Amino acid sequence: MLEVAGLSVQYGQHRAVDGVALTVAVGEIVVILGANGSGKSSLLKAVAGLQPPGVQARVTLAGRQLAGLPAHAIVEAGLALVPEGRGIFGELTVRENLLLGAFARRARADEARNRERVLALFPRLAERLEQTARTMSGGEQQMVAIGRALMSAPEVLLLDEPSLGLSPLLCGELFRALGQIRGDGISVLLVEQNARRSLAVADRGYLIENGHIVGTGRAQDLASDPAVQRAYLGGARRA
Amino acid sequence: MLLEVTLSGVTLGGMYALVAMGLTLQYGVARIMNLSYGELLIAAAFAAFWFYSGLALNPLLGLIVVPPLAFAASYAIYRYLLQPLVRRAKSRDQLEVDSILATFGLLFVIQGVMLALFGGAYYSYSFLSVPLQFAGATVAANRLLALVLAVVIGLGLYLGLTRTRLGTAVRAVAVDPVAAQLVAIDVRTASALAFALGGALVAAAGVLVSMFLTFNANLGVVFTLKALIVVIMGGVGNLLGALIAGLILGLTENYVATFIDPGLTLAATYAIFLLVLLVRPQGLLGRANR
Repeated sequence: MLEVAGLSVQYGQHRAVDGVALTVAVGEIVVILGANGSGKSSLLKAVAGLQPPGVQARVTLAGRQLAGLPAHAIVEAGLALVPEGRGIFGELTVRENLLLGAFARRARADEARNRERVLALFPRLAERLEQTARTMSGGEQQMVAIGRALMSAPEVLLLDEPSLGLSPLLCGELFRALGQIRGDGISVLLVEQNARRSLAVADRGYLIENGHIVGTGRAQDLASDPAVQRAYLGGARRA
Repeated sequence: MLLEVTLSGVTLGGMYALVAMGLTLQYGVARIMNLSYGELLIAAAFAAFWFYSGLALNPLLGLIVVPPLAFAASYAIYRYLLQPLVRRAKSRDQLEVDSILATFGLLFVIQGVMLALFGGAYYSYSFLSVPLQFAGATVAANRLLALVLAVVIGLGLYLGLTRTRLGTAVRAVAVDPVAAQLVAIDVRTASALAFALGGALVAAAGVLVSMFLTFNANLGVVFTLKALIVVIMGGVGNLLGALIAGLILGLTENYVATFIDPGLTLAATYAIFLLVLLVRPQGLLGRANR
């Protein structure tokens, strides 16, 4: 489905992501684990077209090359990003955010059905359609962000630290929602710091350090790998 | 007397609001601080004048012809003069400085052309200049018509921006241009369209203003300043705020000119502006810390 190879992100002299390759298969949840500043966010931004992915990058979605396309065209091709900090339109209502989610031409045909799905996935949003998004709680805003992304009828959903700042309860709800999204046939690629929760729902994982992929495997194998436990699950176990 | 002054103040305020809505589109969505904005209004007023005096056509025909032309001209200005600035700007602040300098130059180019064509003399024409009785007050038919048309255009714009997907997309670009790309909005095209739409609006206002005001080639700056004041007073990017601020400004100017001294209108304008800035620096309906 989604194949990435040779992707690099450069900020001036600093190379945040260096020649990363990864794949996401149809109906798969893939998690990228890494510490702060390891290049996770830059990687997702580059895949979504918000950062130049480097001249050698190949990003293909169902065989179609996306690298070098502007961000709006990448959404049109079927890849939606929920960015760090959510990126919802705070001044607009929930209804308007969802309406704009389906701005892509690809999303128009199934708009009503997708809307029903989103509101079934997050019933809170159905109660609050007329509320201005920025006045909502962090968890509700995250629902708006994911709902908006789903409205674009994506084949692959990218999420940048969706659990950041959410209570454990909301976190659980969020990862359950990801499982349902996969059930609808949408592939999910997320970067996370919450390794325990994300490995529990994911099919596969990649480990990223200093802009390089340093390990990969099935999620349950990673979760039981002592090195992974030391690096990514240690903090979570104490907490 | 009071009713007459109020009516004519509302008319003027409606013009200000219309002009400010256009500037809001250009500044809020396309992020261009356009100092040559008022020149387009005067150019449109001259066009309406020429329609009436030169071609003996109804100036309202100008309302059908001139705004589309202004739309095309503004689109071209954005595409060829301003988009290079947008592309090279590293931050919003830098784009603001660059666009101010570029449109400041453009102001003199447009003004120079108009001065060459029409000279510095004042122009006006007499269209529908018949008195109407309205609730005991006398009001000129052309003013009333201008007000009605301004309301129709302003309301149409408001509904278009709030009730349609495309309009909502335009507002979304103003709220967050990066996030807008993530819902498949082509921000470059949307900005160009918003800038062009702003130009069409100010041109429509120019045609309306020409029906009841005397104007000359140097008057563009005045309208640019008024539009800026109204936009800032109403809260940057807030259409409803622009409407309210425009009406306040128009009414104040007319009251002061009639009941106190015509020489004090500009002073009253700035006094109100200062007052609003002191009490609510974010504007009447603006939100703090944008």
